[in-house]
Amino acid sequence: MKKKKILTFGQAINEALDQAMSRDKSVFVFGQGVDKTGHVFHSTEGLLKKYKKKRIFDTPNSEQAETMLALGASLNGKLRPVLIHHRVDFMAYTFDQLVNWISLWSFKSSKKSYAPLVIRAIIGRGWGQGPQHAKTLHTMFSYLPGLRVVMPSSPSEAKGMMLSSIASNDPVIFLEYRALYNTKELVPTERFYIDLDQPRLRLKGNSLTLVAAGTSVLTSLKAAEILYKEKKIKIDLFDLRSISKMNLKKIIESVKKTKRLVLVEDGWKNFGYSSEIITQIVENKIKLAEAPQRICWPNSHVPMSAPLEKDFYFDEHDIVKACKKVLKEKLIHSN
Amino acid sequence: MQFSIQKEIYKNLSLIRKTQEEIIKRYHPADKMRCPMHFCVGQEIMPAVLGPLMIDEDSIYSHHRSHGYYIAKKGSINEMIAEFYGKETGSNGGLAGSQELSSTKIDFYSGTILSGAFAMALGGAFEKKYNQKKGIGISVIGDGGMEEGIVYESLNMATQMNLPILYICENNSYSTHTTLKQRTLENKPSNRVKNFNMKTTYFDGNDPDKLFNLMKSIVKKIRDTKKPHFVEINTYRFNGHVGPEGDDHFNYRSKKEINHWIKNDPIKFYEKKLFSKSRKLLALKKKINDKNFKIIDRAFRFAEKSKFPKRYENNNFKATYKNVKKFYNNSISFGTVQEDHKPKPY
Repeated sequence: MKKKKILTFGQAINEALDQAMSRDKSVFVFGQGVDKTGHVFHSTEGLLKKYKKKRIFDTPNSEQAETMLALGASLNGKLRPVLIHHRVDFMAYTFDQLVNWISLWSFKSSKKSYAPLVIRAIIGRGWGQGPQHAKTLHTMFSYLPGLRVVMPSSPSEAKGMMLSSIASNDPVIFLEYRALYNTKELVPTERFYIDLDQPRLRLKGNSLTLVAAGTSVLTSLKAAEILYKEKKIKIDLFDLRSISKMNLKKIIESVKKTKRLVLVEDGWKNFGYSSEIITQIVENKIKLAEAPQRICWPNSHVPMSAPLEKDFYFDEHDIVKACKKVLKEKLIHSN
Repeated sequence: MQFSIQKEIYKNLSLIRKTQEEIIKRYHPADKMRCPMHFCVGQEIMPAVLGPLMIDEDSIYSHHRSHGYYIAKKGSINEMIAEFYGKETGSNGGLAGSQELSSTKIDFYSGTILSGAFAMALGGAFEKKYNQKKGIGISVIGDGGMEEGIVYESLNMATQMNLPILYICENNSYSTHTTLKQRTLENKPSNRVKNFNMKTTYFDGNDPDKLFNLMKSIVKKIRDTKKPHFVEINTYRFNGHVGPEGDDHFNYRSKKEINHWIKNDPIKFYEKKLFSKSRKLLALKKKINDKNFKIIDRAFRFAEKSKFPKRYENNNFKATYKNVKKFYNNSISFGTVQEDHKPKPY
């Protein structure tokens, strides 16, 4: 049995950064206010003391220049920058850098040059974060060839995926839901790597296939618990991990078996990963017993006030309802 | 001035000019170089004098009018022409063309979306400082690019972080066909830069020797102090904004203005200064030019013979990891049930 200890999401990322920096001198961390006060939800705590100003530093409010600094420094792995944005919304400043430079860096050099950089960004989702602090842009980034876009769902996933992202020779956008920072989990203490291309089967069952990523994995786990408690229903629950490079092989196999599909996504409904997965299922000529269900955000900007927020975000009961919908026939039989 | 350095500067000037003239000549009707090209005929002076001042560890981040800097950094002419042909032997493997001419071999990168490369120098210079290298970052931009916001973010960070960067602004007074005066009330970009507490220098002239001596002291200072320096040069493109065709039929600039610059062409000036005094010198000039032509002609044959790349889609991801021997067990038992949580206000 490998050694594990209980860590929060923020502590797990902190441990990953520390382990990456201690192993590899080319790793450095920067961004606005990353070396002080809140320490990005404790995820950079202690790094300044240990690695000094050279390897973790604050910057002016210059997202565009910061992003190009990361690209220039990272060329062919000379350095491995980790750039942090406190909200993903600020990355809108850096659209040119992502669209015209970073995403096509490997392509336009025919892989002779590569840019191993990590951009961490936090999705505010919840508690009054409102239109400019709550949204997620994961599908916007994923649309671009050449970017790895990943969304960890738990502390142990965050640690292994952060270590892999830093080691990856491709640019990675590492999206962290703020709502996950206070979650706790047993996390292996060793330095370990997660395959960013492989979705993870989180629960096993025959009734239906559910795919989620980031926070929606946690909400789906709660829904699965309810389904089991109420109806003794077991489901295949997949954590997508990577949004831009989805390896759907196992998910397709699962859907072939269950013939029922529910997609849960903490993000807008149009053009999300949910839409993409349904498309690929259809393209693979997989016949479904019931129409697939998507549990996503409405196609609207995010309201701030508590009652409207409650209406905007889905919870585990919405997922349960959707699961019951695709299980219609099965439930009648089991009753 | 040492004659050997003057010869090298002239060789650069002539090679940059001749390469472009040959491309323009062979572009039509062959139609084998099917990409937009921004030529720098008339603007060769800065890259030509930088040639002898650069070391291998220096890196260049250039605007789209980049051919001169690529050649001055000793980029392979074979690979450059092959890149314009879209062949796999090209500097970018034939996938990018002139607008994004880049080569890791000589640490040279360019791009056409205006000011991105300018900002990349921050990272290049940061890496050199971090890894205690001798090289500096050389960042080249035009007067048009100087209008983008990222430029001012970069200038601020370069001074605030003390990064060894040579900034060059080639002010040719035009953004495509729009004059500088139509775009701004401050006609000297270097004046704007002063406010960042950065050293700036303005150069207006056609004598390569004068520019060389100036740049020599600036480059040395950047290497010694590890601080950025901004140089603006007043220059002019003889050719059109883009493509082998001219664009003067649009009448966006006066004949008088064009003639003034052509009359003061640095190459003509330098030829007179260096080679007009004796037959022996004239023969030397011919020898340099013949050698340059051979290099260019060989490059075209190399490009013709090379093959097109078979694939492109496999280049979007490097898809490798550094020092990762195996991935963690992906099984269902990994991790345990997460505790419930309530997000707190931030």
